[in-house]
Amino acid sequence: MHTPRGIPKKTHLAAAEQDAGQAVRPADRRDTDRQWSQNVQEFQSFYQENLGLIYRYIYSKVGNREEAEDLTSQIFIKAVRSVDLERGPHSMQKWLFQVARTTIADYWRSYYRISISSLEELLDAGWEGPIEEDAVDTSTTPMERVQRILQALPEHYREVLTCRFLLNLSIKETALRLGLTESNVKVLQFRALKRAADVEPVVKGITGTP
Amino acid sequence: MAGEDQERFEDYLELERYIEELQAGHVAHPPADLTPERARVYRMAALFRSASPEAAEPSPEFAEALHARLLAMDEEAQQDLPQGQPQVARTEQPVVAQQDKQEIQPSPQINRSVPKRARFVPRRSLLAGGAAAAASLLVGAGIGAAMEQAGNSKVASTATPTPTSYPSGTPIVPDTIPTKLHLATTLTKLGNGAVPFTSGAVVGYVIRNNGDEDWAGESEVIAMSASCTHMGCIVQWQDSDRRFHCPCHGGMFTEDGEPDKSGRMSYLAALPRLETVIKGDDVYVVVPDVKSL
Repeated sequence: MHTPRGIPKKTHLAAAEQDAGQAVRPADRRDTDRQWSQNVQEFQSFYQENLGLIYRYIYSKVGNREEAEDLTSQIFIKAVRSVDLERGPHSMQKWLFQVARTTIADYWRSYYRISISSLEELLDAGWEGPIEEDAVDTSTTPMERVQRILQALPEHYREVLTCRFLLNLSIKETALRLGLTESNVKVLQFRALKRAADVEPVVKGITGTP
Repeated sequence: MAGEDQERFEDYLELERYIEELQAGHVAHPPADLTPERARVYRMAALFRSASPEAAEPSPEFAEALHARLLAMDEEAQQDLPQGQPQVARTEQPVVAQQDKQEIQPSPQINRSVPKRARFVPRRSLLAGGAAAAASLLVGAGIGAAMEQAGNSKVASTATPTPTSYPSGTPIVPDTIPTKLHLATTLTKLGNGAVPFTSGAVVGYVIRNNGDEDWAGESEVIAMSASCTHMGCIVQWQDSDRRFHCPCHGGMFTEDGEPDKSGRMSYLAALPRLETVIKGDDVYVVVPDVKSL
């Protein structure tokens, strides 16, 4: 307990004098450096694993890079500020996705405002509520979901969505390709997306998060 | 679910406008006041948009910038301290702080509300060493001031030879600065616990030496700084477990000032020692003689 040691164990000022800024006694310095770099490593891997997941999830909700970046930043900042270090990485990921969910829900609320009258009608008709908050499905990527939906669609819907979204063709190019007028394409894409929305809950497979 | 919406001409136009904006890489939002059914169409559009090749990955610049920002944020958060910092710590901040390396900020003066939870990246583990000396210097800010007075421009002055009464190392108060004896307590009054003392710039404890021969030699009483080597909060002695407890982050030290290995912050450096002098019944502590504070 009180055995004398060769190393000057209490001379912090001495250490500071030796090496300004690295004012730890030799044994301490190894420990704290090791712990610090370990923590930075953990953060690094956590960040790398989850940045892509969160970003793609958000992108699939907002549809554009700028907002995806903006919201992703918000989410990580919010999560990092309030996360409890004691949790393991798995529950930290859950926490991160939780934050992502509520962030998207806020986003929905501001941009997908339902007019009061239609809301009341709908509620009267037994409709459940304005925004269905999907639990974040980490088992499928947005890309996978899109592919599954496409396969479940009739051919002409599948084609127009492939042209406009996967191939990024313009209205004009799509019309040429499919042998339709531009107005046709506008109607077609609307209906295709509507059908996709109908089909999505079915092809998602297992509902809820793993 | 409600009956299907009647399709209108505007539906197609508005949707097309939305898709075009997204394709151009712009921020776009669906029209306001959508029915739930129409809203789903737009959400599908966003989903499908994310399947296009350029949407796949975050840009590397963005990823790096956010990463750096998170780490910086975390470091910033290290400086936040709860209230309850002693007045003593607020003295002479700029003097000492600007001499330290950049990571060590004059933290006790920042009065932001602070989340009590541990940080994501506990950088304090890096700062612990540096902050230990810095914080104890901040509390014992008189040392910095005194060293200034003694003509040293750096906190980390070139060391002077150690006094012969110590086996190794340099005491917290080096020989280069003027010192004085501060009467902390008497042997009679000193029971088994730690007795606090304050002398101008230094806040510390004296306690009976129960066999630690490294430092104290034959001295019956040892003294140490009360400044927690984590971030400078004043630790509190508790008789019940014979430990010094730091109110800020839970650091704990034994009666020798060593970090409690069982505690949360077992990696902290020990509380710096101060020299004691016993004359008769009186217990003195050698402290910097700071003229102006």
